[in-house]
Amino acid sequence: MGKRLARALDGPAVPRKRLKVVHEAPTSEEVKTSKQLQHLLSFTPDTARARHGLQSFKLFLDELLHPEHDPERLSLLEAYLEAVKPNADDENPVFLPDIMQLWSHAAQTNNENIMSAVPVVLDLLLRLLSKTLDTVPYGLGICRTLLQKRQQELIARNLSADKSKSFIISPTLRVLREAIAFDGGTIARPLFRARANMLKSLARNMGIVHIGDEPEDAKRPSTRTNAVLFFLSALRFLHAEAKKELLSQRDIVSALTRDIKQDPPYLVKDILDGLKVHVLLDDKLPREAKSALLNASTLTRLSTLYQYRLDSPGEDEISIADIAHEFLMLACTNPSCGVLRQDSGYYPREVDLNVTIPDADIDDLGLEAIVWMNKFKAEVPVRNYTLSNFLPNLRPWSSVKQSELITAIFKVAPELVANYFLNNKSFSFEPKLSATWIGYAAFLFNIVTLPIPAHFCRGSDFATLPPPTSIVIDNILPPPLNQKALTRCLNHKSNLISFFGVRILVVAIEKLDQAIKLYHESSHTNKTAWTEAAKRLVDEFCQRSPSIKDMINAYRSIPEANLMHREAASRLLRLCYEVLPQMALMAKFDVSPLLETCLRRLSSQELDDPRDFALSLKELENLLAIAGYSPGMRWLVASEGLSLSPFTMLLKVCLEAPHGVALEAIRQVLDFVAKEQQVVPASDHHPGLLVLLEALQALGAEKPESVVQVWPFLDNCLTRCANAPVKYVEKLQQIVLEGAKTLDTGLSEAVVSPLAIVMLEQLPFVAAKKDEQDKLRALGEFLPKFLGYSVTSGESKPVLDLIFCKMAEYLPDIKDRVEKPGVLGGLVFTYSDWSRHTKTSVCTQKSEKKPIASSEEGQGKETIDLETLEAMLDVTDALKADNSALTKWISKTVDELVDEGYLTALISLLVSEHASIRKEALVNILKAAAKIKQSEYEEKEQVWLLLSELAETARDKINDGPLPSTTVSFACHALNVLRDPLSHLYPKVNTFLIRGPSWNLDKPPLVTEILSEDPAIGDSWYAQSGWLLEYLLDGLRTPSDFELFHKKRLKGPLFERILTLAANPYLRAPLRMQLCRLIYRTTKIEGGSTTLITRLGIMSWLEAREADCLDPSEAVIYAGLRERIWDTCDQARVKSWSKSGLGHKV
Amino acid sequence: MAPPSQKSATKTDEQVAAQFTSYYLQRATKEFAEDLDRVRNADDFKNEALPILINALQQGTRMFSPEEQRRIVTATAAASSASSKQGEDE
Repeated sequence: MGKRLARALDGPAVPRKRLKVVHEAPTSEEVKTSKQLQHLLSFTPDTARARHGLQSFKLFLDELLHPEHDPERLSLLEAYLEAVKPNADDENPVFLPDIMQLWSHAAQTNNENIMSAVPVVLDLLLRLLSKTLDTVPYGLGICRTLLQKRQQELIARNLSADKSKSFIISPTLRVLREAIAFDGGTIARPLFRARANMLKSLARNMGIVHIGDEPEDAKRPSTRTNAVLFFLSALRFLHAEAKKELLSQRDIVSALTRDIKQDPPYLVKDILDGLKVHVLLDDKLPREAKSALLNASTLTRLSTLYQYRLDSPGEDEISIADIAHEFLMLACTNPSCGVLRQDSGYYPREVDLNVTIPDADIDDLGLEAIVWMNKFKAEVPVRNYTLSNFLPNLRPWSSVKQSELITAIFKVAPELVANYFLNNKSFSFEPKLSATWIGYAAFLFNIVTLPIPAHFCRGSDFATLPPPTSIVIDNILPPPLNQKALTRCLNHKSNLISFFGVRILVVAIEKLDQAIKLYHESSHTNKTAWTEAAKRLVDEFCQRSPSIKDMINAYRSIPEANLMHREAASRLLRLCYEVLPQMALMAKFDVSPLLETCLRRLSSQELDDPRDFALSLKELENLLAIAGYSPGMRWLVASEGLSLSPFTMLLKVCLEAPHGVALEAIRQVLDFVAKEQQVVPASDHHPGLLVLLEALQALGAEKPESVVQVWPFLDNCLTRCANAPVKYVEKLQQIVLEGAKTLDTGLSEAVVSPLAIVMLEQLPFVAAKKDEQDKLRALGEFLPKFLGYSVTSGESKPVLDLIFCKMAEYLPDIKDRVEKPGVLGGLVFTYSDWSRHTKTSVCTQKSEKKPIASSEEGQGKETIDLETLEAMLDVTDALKADNSALTKWISKTVDELVDEGYLTALISLLVSEHASIRKEALVNILKAAAKIKQSEYEEKEQVWLLLSELAETARDKINDGPLPSTTVSFACHALNVLRDPLSHLYPKVNTFLIRGPSWNLDKPPLVTEILSEDPAIGDSWYAQSGWLLEYLLDGLRTPSDFELFHKKRLKGPLFERILTLAANPYLRAPLRMQLCRLIYRTTKIEGGSTTLITRLGIMSWLEAREADCLDPSEAVIYAGLRERIWDTCDQARVKSWSKSGLGHKV
Repeated sequence: MAPPSQKSATKTDEQVAAQFTSYYLQRATKEFAEDLDRVRNADDFKNEALPILINALQQGTRMFSPEEQRRIVTATAAASSASSKQGEDE
């Protein structure tokens, strides 16, 4: 192949090569006259001349825009503008016709230099003209000229120039920005009407960002910056309708924030400020326009500004991250900003709040009657879908602000909490000592402390049905806080992690308590459903929370010096006892050693800082409250490691506390215990233990060293008095008799503190010891004071004088000083009468837990209405037949069968009224027993044995009628015992099961074993009795059940034996309440009340209880029960039986 | 019970809260000094981590009611004023 021929350089056949663009800088000259200017800017097809003219004009305008320009020179411009001004009569007046013509010609000839130079001068000119009022008409003329079709096309062409032609696009955008803002936005409306041209390629232009390693120079803004500033100007000057239209342009809105993370700080600030003022806070702008802008992706992009690093704010300046945070807080939490939609609190989107379900359905099926109750465990439909999509993009664990944002959103849209955690399952709470874990823990803490919506929803009243339990529990203990993770936190070797775990649990239980209160509000229309839902909520909570044993172990393992950690852990335990007693009482917890440790720390004065002392005192208060709830607390027995009993230690702490530390709660506990242990008179008119405290305080103020000597003696006396109160009452009577003989006055009603008698008895032993003379001397100072204060507090002076005379024989110093026998005078005892008005702390706590709504003063006596009584004492029927239990258990695993109550539901069917159901239940129980035996379940042998024995017992009986409820109830409760080998009753139930293949239906099991035999495990007698009462209560449902209770037996009727329990002065309130519930249940049985009166003497029993009761809030319950029994009994029969004595009395 | 001193009674809730927070943080850093050191040396301890840590610690103040906070904070003030009062009496 030959060489190609060189072609001629000219002619049409020459292929078009791309011409090399050479940017030559234009020439210019100084403008001196308006004529010259006119000449320079006159139209010419000569490109070089045209550029010369435009460049000279540009330099002239630059000069005029300089703040220190010569005002004379401005007149040149005005003269030029006046000269080229179009005729007023023109239909379409064109301002600056020559320049416009130049631009048009440049577009035709594709001269990019002039296409760029024209908008440059127009931008400068408009900027200059907007400065003075006189020149505004020229500017407006120019703006209107730009709106003419020809100019519109030129602008559109410039805007859509190639992406690389920033030098054309940017000045055009600047002209538009000046034009839309000119004269307060006069032409904004027509400009927007021409949006096809004026906003041409705006989205694309917003994407032409600054490229290069250097940050963008504010003097040479990028195309994006110019485009964004034009857009913001448009938002500022457009009216609401146009703005709505503008914001509906998805591409523009999306381009606005796409690259915001790379924008220079001033631009980001302008964008956020502009959007805030002209969109978020614009009341006239419709909601949908705002929503169009603030969609999930815009919010997500704005949230990337939390990591914005291009700014370096000074001390007084706000950082971009802070401005973005403020913006997002406003956008996401203010309903008028278009993002937040109103939700229904804990009720998901699909639930109709006004739906009602017939009571009969609820009674039959319980919460299962509500179709949606269990529907939202895997997915929660929400109204706030934008926020739901946005939130997963935030990282609350690594930024305080992001955590704040989410928490604030959850506060205004509670529906999102459960939804958020269901969508974000991946982040676990597995404890690790890292900043991320701590951040996450803090975030979860914030969520747990969020308030519960007033009525679980937005309405002014509760909905008919309770909210789905899964959602409520997710708000109280969010899913990452599961049992496993929380238990590992508590057991973690790092104290900090354990501390965080404890704190979260404390606030969670407090929140649970609030929720339970809402469930029990009296205004609910469908009480059964709400009560059952509350029960289910508590069950769910217990499944997510660590066991009480783990909490106790966590508390025990805290170092002695970590006061704050100890306070939190003790607070957690106290809350468990108050809010979740069923969980708290599952573990055997002896509070005494911990109490003693705390008392030792407080009494040994190790804490220098009084604030530490006050904090430690909080721990002590918590422990005292726990002691109040736990049955086996031994107040007046010194343990091995301690020289004094807990009671005396507490007294010592009270006395030695730094001034200013509040001790009221502790004093109240002391007083309560002292009265309960009969150490001081329990009369309302007596200040109780305050006498002793005052005496000790007085002694301490005078001679602190004497108090130290007194403690062992005092402890000895207190212990003796508590151990044998009757002995000292008798001794007092002897003294009184003696006094009556000598003084010849009536002393039969004399009140004297038993403690004084013990002191009298013990004093000789101290006096007898030679080496205890210091102690004797100290007592010589203390005893007169104590007795003196006792007199002024209202105790019998003659008797105390007598006692003092006897004491004086052993007090050498006093014997010589006192002229005549008697208590030292001059001691004035002033006491505040708090004990009469405020209840002791333990009582207060009890009454807080079971508030007595009505306390109307009727003839000075408190009463209780029957409704309140019912709320307190009526317990739902645990054995209520649920026929669906027959089929439900089949698909469940053995663990679920035993642990989640499917088996107990099946067993309960043995009390069904229908023979076919009972038979079916029996067959199913046998099947379940076989299934369990073949499984890997740990306690399978015992559970199988229990079921088989139950089946054996029931086999013949169920053809004739339901099985006795006591038997069935026992089986249900025994099953729960077998589940837990650590239960106090585990040995007893097992012994019972291996005794024989079937049970005696006539005799409720384990009654004698529990009431009369040794508890076998520690001091669990009270716990075991509690269990017995619980199962008996569930087993008392029908007249035939009641027959088993009052039937004559060898050791007396069962009911009588149970009522006798109340005679035990140490029986705690929860057990006493259980007795009341049993009585209340009986009144609901036909003929129950009558039998209670005629065969069990219940009226006198109640009267005796009422008279013995120290707490008025409890006394009203006994009175209320009497009334209830009278209302429900066969009054005619009772009247005739009591010969009209009873009716009158009630 | 000793009456609250004039000084402590006039303290506003905000003052009490601020003083309590400072005491709480001081106590926390003392009790968990070792663990906090370990967190500071963890791999993920970056710029934002310190405010997170402080924020997380001081959250716990919310567990104390305003009265409880006042009780603890004013223990010092009351103690000093009570002892000076005692001195005058003598």
